[in-house]
Amino acid sequence: MAVIIPRVPEPVEEPELSSQLVADPLGFPLGSPTRWELLRNFKVDTQIGTIWLGFWGLLSVLLFACAGAIIFLAAMDQVHGSPWLVVKYFANLELEPPQGLGIARSLREGGYWQLCLIFFAGSTIAWAGRCWETLHRHRWRPYLLFAWLSAILLTACIWVFHPIIVHSWADAPGLGLNSDLQWAQDFSVLWGNFYYNPWHQLAIFFLFGSTMLWGMHGATILATSSEGSHHEDAEIKNLTSGSMKAALFWRWTMGFNAMPKSIHDYLLWFAVGTVLASAMGILQTSTVTDDWYVWGVDHGTVQQYGPITRSAINQWPRPMPTMPSSGAFEPAPGGR
Amino acid sequence: MAAHARDFESTYKKPGNTLFQAIIGGEDPFDFWAGPFYVGFFGWVAAIAIALGVITLFIAVGQHGDWDLLRATISPPTRQYGLGPAPFLAGGDWQLVVIFATVSFVAWGLREVDICRKLEMGFHIPAMFSLAVSAWLVLQLLRPLLMGCWCEGFDLSFTGHLTWVSNTGFRYMNFYYNPFHAYAVLGFFLTAMVLAMHGSAILGTYNTDRNPNVEMRREDSFWRDYIGYSIGEYGIHRLGFYLVVYTLIMSDLCILTSGTLVKDWVEFWHPF
Repeated sequence: MAVIIPRVPEPVEEPELSSQLVADPLGFPLGSPTRWELLRNFKVDTQIGTIWLGFWGLLSVLLFACAGAIIFLAAMDQVHGSPWLVVKYFANLELEPPQGLGIARSLREGGYWQLCLIFFAGSTIAWAGRCWETLHRHRWRPYLLFAWLSAILLTACIWVFHPIIVHSWADAPGLGLNSDLQWAQDFSVLWGNFYYNPWHQLAIFFLFGSTMLWGMHGATILATSSEGSHHEDAEIKNLTSGSMKAALFWRWTMGFNAMPKSIHDYLLWFAVGTVLASAMGILQTSTVTDDWYVWGVDHGTVQQYGPITRSAINQWPRPMPTMPSSGAFEPAPGGR
Repeated sequence: MAAHARDFESTYKKPGNTLFQAIIGGEDPFDFWAGPFYVGFFGWVAAIAIALGVITLFIAVGQHGDWDLLRATISPPTRQYGLGPAPFLAGGDWQLVVIFATVSFVAWGLREVDICRKLEMGFHIPAMFSLAVSAWLVLQLLRPLLMGCWCEGFDLSFTGHLTWVSNTGFRYMNFYYNPFHAYAVLGFFLTAMVLAMHGSAILGTYNTDRNPNVEMRREDSFWRDYIGYSIGEYGIHRLGFYLVVYTLIMSDLCILTSGTLVKDWVEFWHPF
């Protein structure tokens, strides 16, 4: 007794595109559309390409390639020019940030790091330009640009704003696999345990919430896609049986349901909320709060196993902490 | 809901086709709705388990004598009780609440199966819910069993679970060097990124044209111009679904291996 409310198929028309914001001689699609039949096994779209070139896209790719080249050159420099050793010590090699806030004295004392970050920042900002232009040409509302700028804001807080606030580039993560993991631990401990940073807690809530919502939404659509619930633009205009089943499932399960449009509000804001809460957590660290464990004691979010005296945990004024150096590839005292 | 959606609901809101009938047979006395909620046999089991768990929790918190919402804590028993039962106020309360919670989680999943059977839809949601419950089972049952002590479970409280997470991370030296933890974090970040892309795509294009097919083509042509590939309106939900599956499996492995196989995640990378 399946009740299927079919949608009347609409004639397929090609969407009209807007003209480019600025006349761009590089504004043309690269390559030709090709079918990659392997993808059919994963039940996803098989068409690869074309890809739009555009001034901003080319700029972004070139700057990103420069950043990658600097990382490779710096790694080669640290292992005396042996590509095999770069592979062998891939996880341990890192570009370390310089001490202090100025321009690094040499490439090996943070100059590689600064150069690489400048190119990387330029690349992400150029990509935002590409995002803006593509959104305009395809007549999308600019939600994607907002999400991308939020991600840029978080990286800027970690690599630029926080180091400027504490007056040392050394507080930013080094560029490398091992140093990235070590920075996460060191930064947390340096500011008194980030688990007690309420912004960090909120960011984790949004991050786990994003994963939970993707699980719920993805599973709901896959379970009802035989009746077309995955045609979400069409479902927003006109509900058919697939989306009605999806809504009924959640209504019967938890007494509440989203609709094809509103679920995507939840999805986008949970994902964007993750990075915005993280950015706030970085900005409040060191400006307002220098020890999140003490903050937790003050606000009752630390589980206390015994008496904690204020004099033992908070002595003011406290010296400004600095990041410990990993010391893995420190240049020898006399230079190399 | 719109009027035609309510008519649609009445066609499916009928007794029959439950797991209870499939297994035991005959009439299902629990097969009814309470307001918007479907009840069913497993709904009763879940409701009773939730009620018992909440009552146990309130009695225990009252006995411990601290009603502060942040500080109120139901802690697991100390190491001396091992895998045996503990007195009520020395961890027995935690054991009872964990048992009731586990029963209610499993019953909730089976209730979702019942609802899927009634709506004649796929079983993807209860499958995903089971995977999420596996994290609870690993943290509170499987890992304590492997470690030989219920004290390995986490405290049921706001401050208690924060402290447990912090302590567990430092106990194995540096949890960021746990490869499964790194893979899980990668999964969580990727999930959030793909979620933002999907949410932006739908919110960015809905009702931009009279013809929804044009809006769908607008999404495809955007992603092809932007990154050279559009996974499609069906494919994006498969990608999201399997990203979450990957993330949850890695999360399970990350805590299951800590303490059982590996005591120090920094030394883990320097075995010789």
